[in-house]
Order: sequence, then structure tokens, then C-alpha cells
Amino acid sequence: MLHGGYVPGRPYIVSGPPGAGKTILAMQFLREGLEGGERCLFVALEEPPNELKINMRGFRWNLDDLDVLDANSDIRRFEPTPILEISTEEEPAKMRAIGERIRKTPDFESKEVTVHSLQQLLKNLFLKRNYERVVIDSMTALKYFCMREFEETVTTQSFMRYLAESKVTSLLTLELPEEGEVPPEAFLARGELRLHKLRDETGIKRFLSVEKYKGSSHDESVYPFEITNAGIVINMAPMAATAH
Amino acid sequence: MHYGPGGPALGRLSMDRVKTGVVGLDTMLTGGLLPARPYVVSGPTGSGKTILALHFLLEGLRQQEPCLLVTLDEPPIEVKANMATFGWNLDRLKILDATPDIRAHKRQRSVIDVGTSLDVRDMEDVTEIRQSSQIRALEVTVHSVQKMIKQEFLHHLERTKQRYKRVVIDSMTALKMFAMQGQDSRILIQSFVRFLAELEATTLIISERLNKKILETEFFLARGEVRLHKWIDGSVIRRAISIDKFRGSSFDDRMHPISIGDNGMVVYLDAPAQTRVSSPAPKPGESLLETRLIDEVSNVIESIMRHIEDAHRRQVPIRDIEVSLSRAMLAFQRRNYQKAMKLALACDAEVRERLAQAPPPPPTSQLPRPPQVIR
Repeated sequence: MLHGGYVPGRPYIVSGPPGAGKTILAMQFLREGLEGGERCLFVALEEPPNELKINMRGFRWNLDDLDVLDANSDIRRFEPTPILEISTEEEPAKMRAIGERIRKTPDFESKEVTVHSLQQLLKNLFLKRNYERVVIDSMTALKYFCMREFEETVTTQSFMRYLAESKVTSLLTLELPEEGEVPPEAFLARGELRLHKLRDETGIKRFLSVEKYKGSSHDESVYPFEITNAGIVINMAPMAATAH
Repeated sequence: MHYGPGGPALGRLSMDRVKTGVVGLDTMLTGGLLPARPYVVSGPTGSGKTILALHFLLEGLRQQEPCLLVTLDEPPIEVKANMATFGWNLDRLKILDATPDIRAHKRQRSVIDVGTSLDVRDMEDVTEIRQSSQIRALEVTVHSVQKMIKQEFLHHLERTKQRYKRVVIDSMTALKMFAMQGQDSRILIQSFVRFLAELEATTLIISERLNKKILETEFFLARGEVRLHKWIDGSVIRRAISIDKFRGSSFDDRMHPISIGDNGMVVYLDAPAQTRVSSPAPKPGESLLETRLIDEVSNVIESIMRHIEDAHRRQVPIRDIEVSLSRAMLAFQRRNYQKAMKLALACDAEVRERLAQAPPPPPTSQLPRPPQVIR
């Protein structure tokens, strides 16, 4: 559909409502990289890594060498104690080393992830480890929990610009509401893959479309896909004018 | 049926699943929920969210698991009364009463955190509604609810050496309405969901989806969503259930009809799948009627508040009316205007009667006169 794949070194968006399959698609993108011997990083902002590991187990993909950065904020303190921003020295963990249980918020300090600290952290990691593929799951969590509301748009823009400059092929997942408008982040990326979820008598139907793809020709149609034991499988017989 | 991640592979390990106690639903979930994660149960008012949650708790009790119900919506006595109709024995259920007191509505300065007066009881000890305290009132905040749950977890661990396995938060909608006005609710919800995940109990968060166009935080942070549907088809109410998100597992993604009867909730897996053709658009007159209803309810509530103040001045005991007023205000805040109207009218009648029976008011001359404008 993308006529060969992503143009490397750019940020892309995968958008869709909750439960559409964004994380799975992102994981497949990383797995592809791992198989080609690339260095890959998954930045988890929505889900604790231990759950992610359990969830991906069913696919039997070899993700052992994937670096996972736990960027979930801790439980907030309500007492007026100084809040620690996530340390810029924080290291991602290899998927194989991730345990079964959730990381607990320590009793006396809470780690808070802000977009600034995360960006700094990524900058250090990119320098040190030369990542070729990065997934930010999700951009929505980054926007909702790591930015101050009044500076959302500006901060998002600068974050995306940073990713573009860092020459890493990055995939950002974006939560869409079930109805209504698409959030502005979608317009900032170089391309957007949109996952659609429709319900009819026979269950949930899933579709995928390329909404935007700068610098390359792409397919305009909407394709149905299924989530199987092997991950997302796209049925390449195009559907004429389904979603929308 | 679509097989999601770990479809048949994980399906075999059904021992690792947490059964919801609703038979058909467990089949839809390929055995049950994944343990130690927070889930959302959503649906409109009266679609059966609380009943589903109580099935889940009852199933836990049946398996000798410690279960905790955190109620923000209904006082425990009402939960108990509602459950009595099903003949369920929930006596061993721990219930944490976080329903806010009436005074918390008035935004007095003397309000204190709920956390300082923990109220956890066994369901069997629930015999009456908790009275609002005269001197201090319980204000519910996310922080205080969190603190209450944490304390209760620790107490329970100390007493019984067991951790709670199942927790129900009834409801997130109430928590949001009471506790998050003017605050950065997204971050508070994120922190709360994180807190629930760190408890390592399987949690059901009951939440009404108020607006489909807004992406609500608990819906995308929860590891799954069970959605209840209710719509009017001609002259009958139809109900259905569906799973809209379930991380880490395959699931039956069809919508199945349900019924709520003497035995609680029943899912009909084989019945013809019947979907709502489209959500009925509100009739033009409806929104006008609703606006008028809102105005009327607020008038009644205001009048009750005036009477209550009057009663306080005259030292007429009306604490029970304050409690029922808080229920009316809750219904109002949850946009259940019909119910709010009913409750408010009952309060109004009651407070008037109480005042009529009471001794006459002290002479008004003691009160300062309003300043007069001299022309």
C-alpha cells in the first residue's frame, strides 16, 4: 500500500480508536526491524511493559532484543513534595528482561514524565544507541499526561520536529475518538495510516487506509484487515468507499 | 470470530483468566479477563453496569477471593436493597462508602478529606445510610478516594494476610463530577488508573460515556472495555452487550442481546445478533423539553436549599433531607434530570412539611435589614 514501505528517517502516525490494533501494528513494524538486525526502541506511555510483554506473547514473535522504555508516569503525589522528572539517565530494558509484575511507585518519590524530560532522554539514547526504528505509544498519552494544556500544540510540533531531525524512522500511535474530529497531531506527521473500526451484525470490521503520505505515491483505497495469530493481516482486495 | 493476540494460544490457559460471573460474557472473553488489570464497563444509565459489576464481585466471593466495592454513586444501603431483589448473598463483600456528604456541595471551608474517616464495612453490617456529620463533611477527591483504597488494602493485608483480588469502582463518572472540577482531570485519571494497576487486583471501572466525540482518558488507558447497550425499539427496551477492546486476548467481537431478570444478567450467545440500525437522532422538541426540565429542577433545588437554611436557623432537624437532596443533586449532575426532579420534589415536600410542623421562626427583626438605597 505504501509502495514499498516508509521513507526512512521520518515520523509517521498510526491512528485509530481504542482497540483498533495500533499497538500491534507498531509492534510488527519493530519486529520487521529486529529481523533485519536494526536497533529498535518502544516507548511505552500507555501500558506498563510487563503487560505489553504478556500481550505480545500470543503472537510468538521474537522480540527479545527490543528495547522498551517505560515512560509511564508514577502515581502522582498530592503532598507538596518536589516531583522528580524522569531521569535523563533512565535506560530502556530489553524485552527479555522484563518481569511479570508491574513496577511499583516508590513510597517517597514519584517519577513524572514530561515531554521535555522525555525528549532529552531520547536525545541521549539516540546518540548512544543509534536507533533505526522507534515507536511512541501513544502520542495521545504524551499529550494528555506530559504537557501543560495551554502549550499542547506548540510542544507537540516541536516534539515532532525533533523526531524528524533525529533521522530515526518513528511511528507514533494516536488515539481517535469514535466519532468527530481528528486531533491536530495527525496533520504534523509525514504520513498517517488510519485504522478504522466499524461494528455490524457480524462483529467488528477493521479497515486500514493511508490518509497522507508525503514524498511518495500511495494507494488511495481502504483495505479490510484482521488481527490474527500472526498479527495484522491485510486483505489486499481493495474495498471501494467503505469507511467515511 | 477474530483471533487477536494469543487467541487459541492463551485461550488454553483459562486458569489464568478472571471470570466475570456472567456466563455468556466469559465465553465472549475467551474465558475471562486477564488478571491484575483495570477494565472499563461502559453504558448509558440503567443499562446494567452495576449489576454486571456485582456479578463479578459475587463470582469472586464464590471463589473465596477478597473483594472490594468502592461506591461513589449510591450509598451502600441502596446497593444492598437493590441486590436483595436478586437474592444474592453479598454479605462477605467489603464495601467502601465514598459517597460525598451533602455539605461538600456547599463548598464550605471546614470540609475535610474522606481519607481521615475511613468507612469500610461488610455488606451485612450495612443497615442505614451514613449520616452527614454536623461539624465536618466528607469531600470526595481523587486523592482521598485513592488514600481510602490504599489504607483499606493495607488493613486487609494486615488482618487477613490476603490481598484484594477484585475491585469495583462505581463509578468513575461520579468521581469525575465530584472530584475533578477545575483540575487537570486527565492527569488525575492517569494517576488513578496507574494506582489501580499497581494494586494488582482485577478492577472494573464503571463509566458512562457522555460524549462519543471526546476521547475519555479512562477508556484508552483501560486494558479493555465491556460495553452495555440500551435502546428503545418501538415500545420495548432492548439491551445488548459487546466487547470493544481487550488487550492481549482474542474475543468474540459480536454484539449479543442480554436480559436482566431475577437471576441478574444473562447473555444470549445464540440469539440472532440484532444491532441498532443507527442511534436515534434526538427529536427536535426533545432538547427544548430537556432545557425546561433542567430549569425546573434547579428551581426546586434552590428552593430546598433556602428551606434548609431556614431549618438550620430554626434548629429543625433535617439531616435526612440533606442526604436525599445530595442524591437529587447527584442525579442532576449526571444529567438524569427525570430522576433528579422526582427526588427533588420529594425533598421539597418533606422539608416544607417539617418546617410547617416546627415551632414558628424567631422574630425576623433580629436579622439585619438589607441596605436601603436613598434617593
